[in-house]
Amino acid sequence: MAVSSEETMPDNVMFMKLALQQAKLALDNLEVPVGCVIVEDQAVIASGRNRPTQTRNATSHAEMEAIDKLLEQWQKIGLTRGEIYLKFSQCTLYVTCEPCIMCAAALSIIGIKEVFYGCANDKFGGCGSILSLHTCSSGKRTSDGGSKRKEFKCTGGILALEAINLLRSFYEQGNPNGIVPLSRKPTSLAKEPFH
Amino acid sequence: MNGIRDETPTDLLRSWKIVHIPDKPPVSPHLQETVSMLAASIEPKCANLVVRHAALPPVKLNQTAPLENLRHVKRIRRTSLDGGKTQLSVILCIASGDGESNNLPKDVLELVCKYAALTKEEWEEQCRLWPTSFHPPAYNIDGITGFSEEDSLLVYNFMKIAVALAKSGIGVVNAAVIVDPSTCQVIASARDQVQSRNVALNFTSEETSTAEQLEAATMDETTEIKNDQSFLVGCSADESKLPYHGVACLNPLGWLEPQLHSSSDSWHPLHHAAIVAIEKSAARDKHLFPLNVDFSSKDHKVSSLVGSPLKRLKTNTNVKDEVNMNEHIDGFHCDATRPYLCTGYDIYFVWEPCIMCAMAVVHQRIKRVFFAFPNPNEGALGSKHRLQGEKSLNHHYAVFRVLLPELILKDDTDAALTVSPLM
Repeated sequence: MAVSSEETMPDNVMFMKLALQQAKLALDNLEVPVGCVIVEDQAVIASGRNRPTQTRNATSHAEMEAIDKLLEQWQKIGLTRGEIYLKFSQCTLYVTCEPCIMCAAALSIIGIKEVFYGCANDKFGGCGSILSLHTCSSGKRTSDGGSKRKEFKCTGGILALEAINLLRSFYEQGNPNGIVPLSRKPTSLAKEPFH
Repeated sequence: MNGIRDETPTDLLRSWKIVHIPDKPPVSPHLQETVSMLAASIEPKCANLVVRHAALPPVKLNQTAPLENLRHVKRIRRTSLDGGKTQLSVILCIASGDGESNNLPKDVLELVCKYAALTKEEWEEQCRLWPTSFHPPAYNIDGITGFSEEDSLLVYNFMKIAVALAKSGIGVVNAAVIVDPSTCQVIASARDQVQSRNVALNFTSEETSTAEQLEAATMDETTEIKNDQSFLVGCSADESKLPYHGVACLNPLGWLEPQLHSSSDSWHPLHHAAIVAIEKSAARDKHLFPLNVDFSSKDHKVSSLVGSPLKRLKTNTNVKDEVNMNEHIDGFHCDATRPYLCTGYDIYFVWEPCIMCAMAVVHQRIKRVFFAFPNPNEGALGSKHRLQGEKSLNHHYAVFRVLLPELILKDDTDAALTVSPLM
């Protein structure tokens, strides 16, 4: 945990820079540039980046890849479900863009401790923008004995500009797989300028 | 096979039903919010004149006194009076302060419904107050305005496949079946694989489609039937507490439940049926179309499909025949028929998906979602969340519930677990 005397860069920023590196890697591979790292005890233990174009699976988000890597790794060394749940509960995720609704739900299912993200995700953010899956279903038991997902702490705005600039450069170069949005109603078109 | 009794189409049409789950929860008609409006009656004598120039007043009024946020309200009402005469009334503007309206004669005040109707029933009720227009919510997706008998039977058939799959292992779990409705082809199907990679036992469709999709990749699934033994122990112990405890979307933290025989089997807390089915459909896509294609001109490709012989192949209700037919169709696949992700496809769930799965299905661009049983705690398509109503998403699907007798699940549990020679 020694803080280098030269750069008193907060850990948050340091880890987010590593996540941004993953996002750049995604951009180089013609993917929407989103990247992440998972940190345990101040050490990066997994990273992930967006790969829907490569996999043709639109759910191949950075967070899902990093989670998959850890699960595989931990199962290989024989950790039990309980041990894995405990480990996830000590992990922090740094991701360049607010987790989408799917990823936010996934993060609460595995029981992550905390999430830091860069820019918000106005279209499908699951940590406050569209839904708040990090808060609204605490680990309480339901009436019939089923257990719900877990809450996690979530903070946005870490190096948000860098994350946005990456996304912007992706959309400027053109998404080779992007769909032209369905024609909208003329009324909403008039009000809403194209981004 | 698969413990589902054969029902005649007539039985099915009588006892099963498809219900559209709209973007917003429907408001009971008599509880709809209203707004007071000022309206001018038009003398019956002038009716002819006004009717002839019917387009005129509304156009002008919409410019000088626009009805913002009340676009569903018709500007003119036509009332039949005694003696066959017709009276027309025109909305002038929203009635402002109470003081002003108190000074006005009562017959210029009219109530109109504040929000556009979501269902036909709501709309009929609205029109008793003042006529409104009704546009069935969301685009032009087949089925929102109702299913023909033929289409209903197709839907029931695929739902039966999903139910059979859900019951095909040991312990009932959720199942997801992705279907191309234009060819009636099962694209991919999966059971929950949270507890273990349990394969469908005795389920031809699942095995064949797996083999066909991933013949290159060696699927470890087929070797894992033995792991179902551990699943059985873990599941039967819990099932007394909560019915269908093994259904991942009902119980997302179920992956933590202690497994008595936690061998080296690979389990995954996020491998709900939908996630696995999407993964399989992606693998199938890569297998059938190894080259990455630029989709920028995708719209043309899709439209070129219309009228192709692949469109709308009829199939009978037998699962085996369907699989054979799928293999046959696969031989003809060319890039022109390759969809972007799962564009245009349907997905069938036995239980309403949780929010993770519902969003995964948005990402993969599914067109219609069908589920049989609601998921009161975690359901994302009307029970706890209503993802189809989130306007900000870049893709929207239509959601339908298929109402069917719950007995269909009981039957299966019995058939799968009690193989008693006496019965």
